[in-house]
Amino acid sequence: MAIQFARRMDTLKASDIREILKVTQRPEMISFAGGLPAPEFFPVEEMKHVATRTLSEGGRQALQYSTTEGHPPLRRWIAERMNTRMGAAVTPERILITSGSQQGLDLIGKILLDEGDVVLCESPTYLGAVNAFQAYRPVFMEVPTDDHGMVIEELEKRLAENRRVKLIYVIPDFQNPSGRTWSLERREQFMELVRRWQIPVIEDNPYGDLRFEGEALPALKALDRDGLVVMLGTFSKIFCPGMRVAWLAAESPIFEKVVLVKQGSDLHTSTLGQMQLATYLEMYNLEDNIAQIRNAYRQRRDVMVAAMEQEFPPEVTFTRPQGGMFLWVELPAHINTRTVLQRCLERNVAFVPGGSFFPNGGKENFFRLNYSTMPEDRIREGIARIGAVLREALAESASPDLAAASQ
Amino acid sequence: MTITIDRASPVPVYRQIVQGIRSLIASGAWTAGFRLPPERTLAQALGVNRTTVLNAYRELKAEGLVEAHVGRGTVVAAQRPVADAAAEAAEIPWRQLFRTGLGRSQDPLLRDLLSLTERDDIIPLAVGLPAPEFLPMAALRDILAGLLSEVGPAILMHSPTEGVTALREAISRHLAARGVHRPPEEILITSGCQQGLDLVTRVLVDPGDPVVVEEPTYFGALEVFRRAQARVIPVPADQDGLRTDLLEAVLQHRRPKFIYTLPTFQNPSGAVLPLERRRHLLELAERFAVPVVEDDPYTELRYDGPAVPSLKELDTAGLVISLHSFSKVLFPGLRVGWMAAPRPVLRQLALARQGLDLHSNTPGQWMLARFLTRGHFDAHLELVRREYRTRRDLALAALAETAPPGVHWTRPEGGFYIWCRLPAHLALGRLLAQAAQIGVAFLPGPPCFAEEPVVNAIRLNFTFPSQEQLREGITRLMAAAAAILEEPAASGRTGGGTPPLV
Repeated sequence: MAIQFARRMDTLKASDIREILKVTQRPEMISFAGGLPAPEFFPVEEMKHVATRTLSEGGRQALQYSTTEGHPPLRRWIAERMNTRMGAAVTPERILITSGSQQGLDLIGKILLDEGDVVLCESPTYLGAVNAFQAYRPVFMEVPTDDHGMVIEELEKRLAENRRVKLIYVIPDFQNPSGRTWSLERREQFMELVRRWQIPVIEDNPYGDLRFEGEALPALKALDRDGLVVMLGTFSKIFCPGMRVAWLAAESPIFEKVVLVKQGSDLHTSTLGQMQLATYLEMYNLEDNIAQIRNAYRQRRDVMVAAMEQEFPPEVTFTRPQGGMFLWVELPAHINTRTVLQRCLERNVAFVPGGSFFPNGGKENFFRLNYSTMPEDRIREGIARIGAVLREALAESASPDLAAASQ
Repeated sequence: MTITIDRASPVPVYRQIVQGIRSLIASGAWTAGFRLPPERTLAQALGVNRTTVLNAYRELKAEGLVEAHVGRGTVVAAQRPVADAAAEAAEIPWRQLFRTGLGRSQDPLLRDLLSLTERDDIIPLAVGLPAPEFLPMAALRDILAGLLSEVGPAILMHSPTEGVTALREAISRHLAARGVHRPPEEILITSGCQQGLDLVTRVLVDPGDPVVVEEPTYFGALEVFRRAQARVIPVPADQDGLRTDLLEAVLQHRRPKFIYTLPTFQNPSGAVLPLERRRHLLELAERFAVPVVEDDPYTELRYDGPAVPSLKELDTAGLVISLHSFSKVLFPGLRVGWMAAPRPVLRQLALARQGLDLHSNTPGQWMLARFLTRGHFDAHLELVRREYRTRRDLALAALAETAPPGVHWTRPEGGFYIWCRLPAHLALGRLLAQAAQIGVAFLPGPPCFAEEPVVNAIRLNFTFPSQEQLREGITRLMAAAAAILEEPAASGRTGGGTPPLV
């Protein structure tokens, strides 16, 4: 029988990344495509003790329904940490445990977006957020960004031109895909502007703890006086992603609405998962684990940047992130990175072409590199292979006949 | 452009033009800087006098929605910030920011009911929970600790959206042992049945689409449909479940996106849809090309009587999507359930799931897979079935002993609930108030109806409370009901029709 799907399914397509990730699972492939944390830092041994203790001491509670808001000790830990590390002033009562940050994004879409509403986002922006909001059929408007964050004049122009702006989605720390971090001044200007326009802001902060150097900057949430900022945080990048435990910090009345909607979505996040995490936090020091991850990623970034400086032709520019997991490469405008990827895959090296990070499309001369998962020798080797392909592509495009052929 | 003029309307024509343009601007169809048609052009297009359009534009200008520029005509004005830079921010217009229909959602009923289970002084007959005292803690501890050695870091990593392969295979084998052929590729792991419902709705329902439900039905499903802005069409159910004879008439007039039904040990009524009705339902669904969403969390909990095949098993046309749970037989806290769907539908469900929460908790999925393959599930099922049968019989006996005349209840062959019909003149609100005093929680019937409830009923869960609690709770509740029925004044208050609003 031909089933008539909802209209929103027309816009949901299998993503580029998903298709690329399938190819990159082959062991001979050097993949800079994923966004995964490095599994060698998962606390497997510790988790054995945690499992035993959670089920012995937590007992039956660990397997029962629990409240939609989440496990209280975990919410307390999160609030305390946000307040000490990010300068926020949140209370545990305003923390909702979600099944991954992805769910936080979906819940926000569910309470704010009607079909045709406008979502403002950075250009480029995180693909997963676009996917989550897409289900509510909004219009995405990209706001140009520079090395300091969203360009304020451009943002204001869009706010003035559109009456249906419902939310602004941003990743101010070590953005996915660009690796950029907003400056303090830009954060302050941004908050001043959203305060005047009173538009809710979704501050996605999965990478904030992975700062390699420089001073940590206050979160937008910490600069918010009006309860406009909803902040999303996660254990996926600093602990492990399989647990699907993340959180959302929001003020009234957004908080209450999100809780209501979460109840209809999955009642609550896995009780056992939440209690295992809480037990881990009680038995061990997560900061040690984070420090270990940070050190490893810093070295890998250094190796990658050094290799790129050596191997990439001078026409190719890229960001040098102070933290996080990604860096962002720009090629001359006429080179399409999907074509470059095809050639790279033939040489067993992969990345994600940048086109998918622009919700309205049209920009094909960028790509994203992940440096967190590959060991250092493989990073050097992979970058050398990409460098060779880039040199070829540039040489061909310089010769007019071949330029036409490659387009 | 869609400005329509209704000459029969009492609203002056120029006001109608103002309203039309205002909504074009509000909807974003005309953005800032958009040039309005010249007055003469618009007047001709609408067949009205030019002065009428002139008046309309003047009013829009006064409202600040448009601006007149020499040489450029009339353009849509740029929006102004809500708050002044210097001043304190004004009240945030949250109501306008929230999604349409969000404000109409019901109270978080389930959350409130769950919070009652944490109180020692209340006998919990309200929530559909499995008995906590039989949880196989030792087996689970061994499995979970062992998994970290056997599987290693993979159990802490991302897993496929469709579910951990080991679990999909384990479920497929589990079904095969019961004579049901369901390949792993047709199984999608969910974060519980509730998510399955949310996911199906997301994939099939656009705002305004009709969805058919039986009445009474699971209140959590109604909540999901409402929030998706579906139009819920209730079809009555009797002691044998959905009235398929009445369904036909509905399908002749409407084209619902799906039929939502709980055919086995229904929530809240406990009813089982007989085989003939199941066949009739599928025949209608096929004839009218309407998918069926079969919510099936209780099937394994049969205490007596012969088993009836599920709709999914009877489906030959590929139109049944079935939702399943581990929460009722095992434990609900893991939030791992599953659904079965024809492959093209499953692909769409998985795609939608990507945007929802990527996948379910990985260690929880592995744990369940091991639990199934090592035979713990069947052993546990045997244990709880025996216990729940005893509790059901005990609850039925307590009702027979203590219920006042005029109270009628179902005798479920399985599942979690007894549906208890009260005399029409017994005020439910009075009973609810009393229940808090006597320390007994139950689920009132009204949330189980899409519109006005057609019967005065309550739902009693008999699996979560202990045997003593069950007997005591029912006795107290029925005594309270009897007392209310004996107060002529109290029951008269509700029988007296609609009180005037003053």
